[in-house]
Amino acid sequence: MPFFRVIRWVAWKDLVSEIRSRETISSMFFFALIVILVFSFSFSMDQEAARELIAGIIWVAFAFTGIIGLGKSFAAELQNDCLEHLQISPAPKGAVYLGKLAANLLFMLVVEVILFPMFVIFFNLDVVEELPLLLLIFALATLGLSTVGTLFSAMTVHIRAREVMLPILLLPLAVPVMIAAVEATRGALNGLPLSLYGNWLQLLAVFDVVFTVLSFWAFEWIIDS
Amino acid sequence: MIAIRGLALGKSHGHYRVFQDLSFEVAAGECYALFGPNGAGKTTLLRVLATLYRPSNGRFEIMGHDGVAEKDVVRAALLLLAHGSYLYDELDAEENLRFALALRGLAPTDRQIKLVLDRTAIGAFADLKVRFYSAGMKKRLAIAKAMLIRPQVLLMDEPYTSLDEAGMRLMNQYIRDIVKEGAAVLMTTHDRLRSAEVAQRVGVLDKGRLSHITVDELASHAVF
Repeated sequence: MPFFRVIRWVAWKDLVSEIRSRETISSMFFFALIVILVFSFSFSMDQEAARELIAGIIWVAFAFTGIIGLGKSFAAELQNDCLEHLQISPAPKGAVYLGKLAANLLFMLVVEVILFPMFVIFFNLDVVEELPLLLLIFALATLGLSTVGTLFSAMTVHIRAREVMLPILLLPLAVPVMIAAVEATRGALNGLPLSLYGNWLQLLAVFDVVFTVLSFWAFEWIIDS
Repeated sequence: MIAIRGLALGKSHGHYRVFQDLSFEVAAGECYALFGPNGAGKTTLLRVLATLYRPSNGRFEIMGHDGVAEKDVVRAALLLLAHGSYLYDELDAEENLRFALALRGLAPTDRQIKLVLDRTAIGAFADLKVRFYSAGMKKRLAIAKAMLIRPQVLLMDEPYTSLDEAGMRLMNQYIRDIVKEGAAVLMTTHDRLRSAEVAQRVGVLDKGRLSHITVDELASHAVF
């Protein structure tokens, strides 16, 4: 069974379905937009204060926006019993997981790339120099959120209150990612030397590796249960 | 040997036993029609054989492989045509076929896809998203998928539902073809007339027990 071909097809199927329906991306985008507007009108900050607080606001918006997308990832498979089809297909379940993860990661990154310039505008941030580092932080933290989020999305898909259960299960496990992401983002926005917050980036990288491996391994058991 | 073998198969939901001690075989190149009243456990039996449910007692083999211990091999050998169409609404017919086959490591050519879409009379709607398909068209597309996969074991849950007359004839022709190729076919159905055209053996599942009748007895049988 060509493992990478299955990953590519699963990711392709999710991306094409989303591009055509625009159900998930649009709800993620509008939710995040509301968060930005509410925070920007609630706090009137100078650039100094904004650099201190904005990291937390960014990750609150990114995390909850991501949960909306992750929640729909496996719920969409319930239509026409497609989840059952994935379950009984001979495709390697790890490849199905990685395909789903790739699609979820891309959705979240696309939304973040659209939203971040809005944060820059609304909170009057100057981020040109730190942009490459910020993109690295976003990529690492978003991978961390989506790797456990994809697994929990599969776990909660048959639960009636899955929209409530997913954040309840996901957020406690994602606390290390959130803290590391906020600290690293704050460090980058304040132009601090990398040595002062580089350990948070290391934590993100370790989290990504550990939870991608664990989720890959656990997915077959979860989808078959 | 290409066969489905259910040996003392049971499945329980709490204290309620859906069926118990089922023992029967479907040989290669044979079509077996399973009848029974609503709630008799026909669909549950198919879902156990398709490795969706784990039997609580007993065991079964597909193509000589244990259905629980060798799940991956079993899944590669069989195809389940269930009530759900297993189709993605936002994809068109060709995309759905390519995706379903990719999950099995298969890559059909454009010509093969065109051929099965034309045979199932879906060709004219091939570019249409599946969300606009009727239930009958979805069923036809499922037949097209089965034609491309050519499974060794085919499980079908009420295959004639939603199909028009031409669709039912198409379904029976497909069953005849795949049986001729040596596949073992197990279908659950309530359609005595259509199933009698293709089934070699008939079973009746009622109150958790299986009994066998001949195809000729089908018309007069009173249990369902």
